[in-house]
Amino acid sequence: MITALFYLQYHSTRNRLVTRFKRLQQPKYLIGAIAGGLYFYFYFFRYLFQGVGRGGAHAGVPAVPPELLQLVEPVAALVLLVIVVLAWLIPHARAALTFTEAEVAFLFPAPVSRRNLVHFKLVRSQLRILFSALLLTLFSRRVGGNVGIHALGWWLILSTLNLHFLGASFARTLLLDRGVSNWLRRLLVLALVGSLAAFVWLWAKQTVPAPTAADTASFTALVNYAQQVLNAGPALYLLYPFHLVVRPFFAPDAAAFLLALAPALLLFLLHYLWVVFSDVAFEEASVEASQKLAARVAAVRAGNWQAAKKNQKAKRAWFQLAPTGPPVTALLWKNLIGVGQIFSARLWIILVVVVVALVAGFGNAARSQNFSMLAAIIIASLLGYSLLLGPQLLRLDFRQDLPMADILKTFPLRGWQIALGEILAPVTVLAGVQWLLLLLGFGLIFFLPGKHQALIFVIGLSAVCLLPVLDFLLLLIPNAAVLLFPSWIQAGKDSPRGIEATGQRLVFAVGQMLVLLLALIPAALAFAAVYFPMKWGLGPIVPVPFAALAATLILAVEAALGVRLLGRFFERFDVTEATAS
Amino acid sequence: MVQVEGLTKLYGEFTAVNELSFSIQPGEVVGLVGPNGAGKTTTLRCLAGIIPPTRGTVIVGGHDITRAAIDAKRQLAFFTDEPRLFDYLTVWQHLNFVARIYQVADYENIGATLLEELELTNKKDALPGELSRGMKQKLAIACGLLHSPKVIYFDEPLTGLDPYGIRRMKDSILKRARDGAAIIISSHLLHLVQEICSRLLILKNGRKIADGTMAEVTQKFSESPGDASLEEIFFRATSDPVAPPVLPAETK
Repeated sequence: MITALFYLQYHSTRNRLVTRFKRLQQPKYLIGAIAGGLYFYFYFFRYLFQGVGRGGAHAGVPAVPPELLQLVEPVAALVLLVIVVLAWLIPHARAALTFTEAEVAFLFPAPVSRRNLVHFKLVRSQLRILFSALLLTLFSRRVGGNVGIHALGWWLILSTLNLHFLGASFARTLLLDRGVSNWLRRLLVLALVGSLAAFVWLWAKQTVPAPTAADTASFTALVNYAQQVLNAGPALYLLYPFHLVVRPFFAPDAAAFLLALAPALLLFLLHYLWVVFSDVAFEEASVEASQKLAARVAAVRAGNWQAAKKNQKAKRAWFQLAPTGPPVTALLWKNLIGVGQIFSARLWIILVVVVVALVAGFGNAARSQNFSMLAAIIIASLLGYSLLLGPQLLRLDFRQDLPMADILKTFPLRGWQIALGEILAPVTVLAGVQWLLLLLGFGLIFFLPGKHQALIFVIGLSAVCLLPVLDFLLLLIPNAAVLLFPSWIQAGKDSPRGIEATGQRLVFAVGQMLVLLLALIPAALAFAAVYFPMKWGLGPIVPVPFAALAATLILAVEAALGVRLLGRFFERFDVTEATAS
Repeated sequence: MVQVEGLTKLYGEFTAVNELSFSIQPGEVVGLVGPNGAGKTTTLRCLAGIIPPTRGTVIVGGHDITRAAIDAKRQLAFFTDEPRLFDYLTVWQHLNFVARIYQVADYENIGATLLEELELTNKKDALPGELSRGMKQKLAIACGLLHSPKVIYFDEPLTGLDPYGIRRMKDSILKRARDGAAIIISSHLLHLVQEICSRLLILKNGRKIADGTMAEVTQKFSESPGDASLEEIFFRATSDPVAPPVLPAETK
């Protein structure tokens, strides 16, 4: 029977890989794969093929100080201990091995023993573990060490943890079956952990001297002291099994690795026996979990991240929508509801009050000009980030509504109206956040040096009108991209994952920047055309808002043209092709 | 009310709909049937202005769906096989939204009546995620009927409905037809088509195989008058001239 399960796993994996290779015939996947491959090579893989430099690190990559390395193993063991304790403390559900709906439909009614199902699950989890181990090796390799030792070390840690989580979930279920509630279990675990921690603390208090000034004088001294606490007395015994798991990873050479491997494998084997010989009914909970998983996956694949979220609640509208008036407002109204309570009108009022209070509160502290300058720099950085990241994070536009494109297309609206309505919500939210930051910035102006006050004031004033238009333009680009290249951007069916997806995102990020730069050229020219002639007569500060206004007008014209174009893209957008892709 | 002339839709080399022509009068209920891949959904999508036809014209209520899309779309409602709703809008917010899109000034009264008829009044503040499949279907119907469309397209309208829902849906379709709406129903459920449609349009490989009243189509594909059910007619009209599949001996 188990061979049939292996057959299923082998062919599923093989077919998935073949499909991914086959689709490289399509340029969008091939270009994505090349770009993603180059990114992964230059960022990770090239370190695998380079020689090891001084201190065990690669050329150009800083090595971990040896004194720190000595502390890393006990700290890693401690981290593992915390993870294991949490696995016994936090979860509340019964053991549920997650199977796909197809696996549930085929395997659960079939004459397959529970143990075989567990084996199947374990084998399948190995694929995930191997991939995670590879990725973690790529990261950890950058700080030095042997690739093989790192890879095997990570594999051992992850596999043992995986078995432990499974065993713990079985044990939890058995306890529930025997009437031990989740809270009683948590209480028992807390009591056990608390007593052990108290014991270690008491021991440490009596035997290990309290840290002196010398112990904290330098990093090395601090590390030595921490090592002394973790490597002696009951702490060592408490952490011993965890040391066994992480030790192969930290082995400096092959001989040490082999020496550390035997006890780690023994622990792994014990975990395996624990899991395999636990006879726990997981089927019912698994069926439920598989259904929930399938619903979430379907929602995500349809590009509907909203539906994929758990416990969605009805949200109040931002404003009353009258039944008559410009229909575009309906789309804005709808998408603002989608933003959720986090950006409710009440929150805006609270934010404004907080900002005003902060500005007032700065009063005395901000008399220090350094503080005000620092705050101004932080605000400017946040504004910059909002421009860069805001349009990527706020996806309440075509990127969210594309799976509903057929419904949108039945509306008696022109393409540009739908495009405008779709983009207005993220612009509103983004501009609101930015204006709030500017408000904070204006409050700080009074505490800045006199020579800077006027300049920063006019820059802020210019930003008030420039930012919303810039947001609009920045949002037009990904929206146009999603309509022109739905299968590249949209998280629709069969959306690419892995290296191709990373590569596609990189290609689009570069494309977006290029389009934005092109759009900024006319605005920059308009700015210069107004600023420099005025500067001769009025000085360098007064012309700034006038020049910014000219640039805003140009950007607004571009935005209006952009909406028209986006509308045309939407009118031409073929929902059938999008679904098929 | 609906006039289709030479409608053709191509996907690259593939012809989904081929030179389709027909017209529907107010009060008519037309059944659009055909095997999988016959082009039914593509036809409905072209008629609703969701996808542009490659060739041909579609006139809805006197307006060309390509040239005067807005005026044409104001007249129609399209119900997809899967109810398509916005996950973050409640039942009432859906109606509010649709009212603004179609400029339905009296939407509160109409909406309340529709919710009452469709037994959704107590779900007014629920999100689609909290509704059953049938309730979602009802909400989609309420949204579609809010602006009193003169042309209605249904794509598999009975999917997921319980027997009560099916009965109500049939009654609702016939009521709209009596009120003068032109209706097209695309369905694989031939008994539904036979029961409520006044005309039949059979498609195969994107082409029209038959178009006429039930009696006309039955006559066209019958060997003798009254010798066949709609199911039999459907198979005669759409199957290739090959022998029927042979069942394994034990299932015969």
